Amino acid sequence: MDPLLKLDDFTMHYRTKAGWVQAVDGVTLSLARGQALGLVGESGCGKTSIAMSVMKLLPYNSKVVRGRILFEGRDIYSMTDGEVRKMRWKGVAMIFQAAMNSLNPVYRVGNQIVEAIVTHEPETSEEEAWARVRSLFELVGIPKERMYHYPHEYSGGMKQRAVIAMALACNPKMIIADEPTTALDVIVQDKILREMDQIRRKINMSMIYISHDVSVIAEVSDVVAVMYAGKLVELGQADDVFKRPRHPYTYALMRAYPSILGEKHELATIPGEPPNLLDPPSGCRFHPRCDRASAECSKADPMWREICPGHYCTCHNPVEIGGTWVGQVRSGKAADGGDQLGTSSNS
Amino acid sequence: MRRYVLSRLGQVILTLLIYITLVYFLLQAMPGDITQMYLANPKVPQAAREELRKQLGLDQGVVMQYLTYVKNFFRGELGVSFSHYPRPVWDILMERLPRTFVLFLTAHVLSFYVGYVMGRVIAWRRGRVVDYAATVVGITFWTAFYPLLALVLIWIFAYTLRLLPLNQFIEPKLWQGAPFSANTVFGYMVYGGGAVAIGLFLIFYAFLRGLKRTRRNVALAWLSGSVLVAVALLAASRAGLLVYIWDIVNHMVLPVCTLTLISFAGTMLLMRDSMLETVQEDYVMAAHAKGLPDTIVRDRYAARTAILPTVTSLVLSLASSMSGGLVTETMFSWPGLGQVLFHSALANDYPLATGALAFTGVFLLIAHFVADILYAVLDPRIAYTGQPAAEG
Ligand SMILES: Nc1ncnc2c1ncn2[C@@H]1O[C@H](COP(=O)(O)OP(=O)(O)OP(=O)(O)O)[C@@H](O)[C@H]1O
Ligand SMILES: [Mg+2]
Repeated sequence: MDPLLKLDDFTMHYRTKAGWVQAVDGVTLSLARGQALGLVGESGCGKTSIAMSVMKLLPYNSKVVRGRILFEGRDIYSMTDGEVRKMRWKGVAMIFQAAMNSLNPVYRVGNQIVEAIVTHEPETSEEEAWARVRSLFELVGIPKERMYHYPHEYSGGMKQRAVIAMALACNPKMIIADEPTTALDVIVQDKILREMDQIRRKINMSMIYISHDVSVIAEVSDVVAVMYAGKLVELGQADDVFKRPRHPYTYALMRAYPSILGEKHELATIPGEPPNLLDPPSGCRFHPRCDRASAECSKADPMWREICPGHYCTCHNPVEIGGTWVGQVRSGKAADGGDQLGTSSNS
Repeated sequence: MRRYVLSRLGQVILTLLIYITLVYFLLQAMPGDITQMYLANPKVPQAAREELRKQLGLDQGVVMQYLTYVKNFFRGELGVSFSHYPRPVWDILMERLPRTFVLFLTAHVLSFYVGYVMGRVIAWRRGRVVDYAATVVGITFWTAFYPLLALVLIWIFAYTLRLLPLNQFIEPKLWQGAPFSANTVFGYMVYGGGAVAIGLFLIFYAFLRGLKRTRRNVALAWLSGSVLVAVALLAASRAGLLVYIWDIVNHMVLPVCTLTLISFAGTMLLMRDSMLETVQEDYVMAAHAKGLPDTIVRDRYAARTAILPTVTSLVLSLASSMSGGLVTETMFSWPGLGQVLFHSALANDYPLATGALAFTGVFLLIAHFVADILYAVLDPRIAYTGQPAAEG
């Protein structure tokens, strides 16, 4: 079957005073129906830019340089405005990175959800829409009478849930959740993630989770895409990627975040800074910070290749041995850490 | 909300007290006793002097005098005018107030609406030709010398083209032998116009309140709105009022247009600025993402929150045009409150001057109060905290 969403060599840049920011460069990935994809990478690597590209909500100073985005087989950049409006929310809904601010302060929260429903389903009456809001609120765990309140009367966590309810309002085929829980404390964060995952499975919806936190991604995704400086560096089934990370960046990233379940291990920061996307390094963009870098890495851009079936990676010197902490988190087994890179140690 | 309204009302009454106290003591601070000033003036009859003495209670102590003054003020007893003796000040003010009210309110609402709509459009199309064109035109009128602009418009439309009447607020020939006084007609215009406006508001609210704007509802709203207006016009014409209303409206066109031209740019630029900020808000982006039509995102999201600062400016501009009302009233020979204030001051007519001054203040305070309520209706965060919320 056709994938629901397909990015094909998608490349987009931002124009700034200093020049072109190469925010997304040659990203190729696809998302099947009902699948959850985790998009992970450091701040500023272009995750939100990909999300906005899929929603066709890029700012005026951006430019799609090359490639396509296909939603249900149709290129969204050749759709008319009307078609894009139909695709939005009914096809792809989004939970914004600044979820707290994505509610209009002067309208009741319920109204804003009803508005989305009646816009996309003209045959639905307003009463039916309100009834749906009621059940959505139940689903995300907000007291029903809160429908009639204004956003400023909500707590942060409640706003977050309301935004999730809003994303679910039109039964979209997929949801892009851009850091849906970063503003919350860890306990609430975990709870909301689990709830979202449950809802997704129940209604067989596709999902793109975006986060800089690998432990969050590990918990909820089927497929993981690791992004660095505007490029995908690794893509594969979550189990494969986290048990046997191939790209040194993926490996380093995994070691830089604590487990969400509280497993203890020493955190290892990645030395150096993410590159400036105005003028990214030649060859592999990660090479200045990579401890496996060879002479080749600074000259030739590594190929996007399938290292094993369904597991893609761009690296001249991929990591060979697997077995890391994320595997432990998922299976809940005891530690058997790998120290292949020799940079730091597990506990 | 109720607490908010009550506390605002309390504030308004307190401000009013302070204001009339100030006006009173300014008067007291004038050199000499007020009656002494007129003792040697043969133009002022003995009866007026006595009346004034009684009104001001000059035989009593200062505190008692002040209290009497406040009491009289709230009963509408403002004394008798010197220059229009023996007409009570209250009478004169009540004659002038509707004229000023109708003219300035019309001009203001129109200028605000034009400014709001244009600001909304140019902010949404920022950087395009409309944006530059509207800004340049708006600023040109905004900075134009007001009396000159008025003269130019009078010259073009009333003198050269003869499209509009010149001078005065009514056509004397037409009103000779009219069964109504101009003031009665103004009264009907205020009450009737107000009733029709409220009716229209209720109709549109009833039909278009929902989030779902069906074609049927829009058509029904327009239909019943037109019916209401038609009925009102018919009633006016049956009562024989229509010709007179039409005459007054004709006389209002020039001053209203001049006032609108000179002031719409203020609201427009404020709206543009404010909306350039709100279009950057995440909820506007989220509204686009929800797949809402462009005009809905513009009106319900970007413009709806951007309108708040312009409400404040509405009151401020009302204040400035009330004080500048004299210029308008003089240029267009409109016998309103501004002229009364000016002439009474020139004629040393203290009771009338005080009354006019106090009334202008009352008028502005009411406008302020209305704006406060409007603000709270438009921004739910205000009634909640009592003050504008900081954007988080
Ligand atoms: N409107 C814009 N104009 C110019 N540059 C931009 C714009 N938006 C983003 N960028 C740049 O594009 C790059 C990618 O930004 P993006 O927001 O996609 O990162 P991100 O991965 O979502 O980061 P974070 O985790 O912090 O949200 C960054 O270098 C950023 O500075
Ligand atoms: Mg982001």
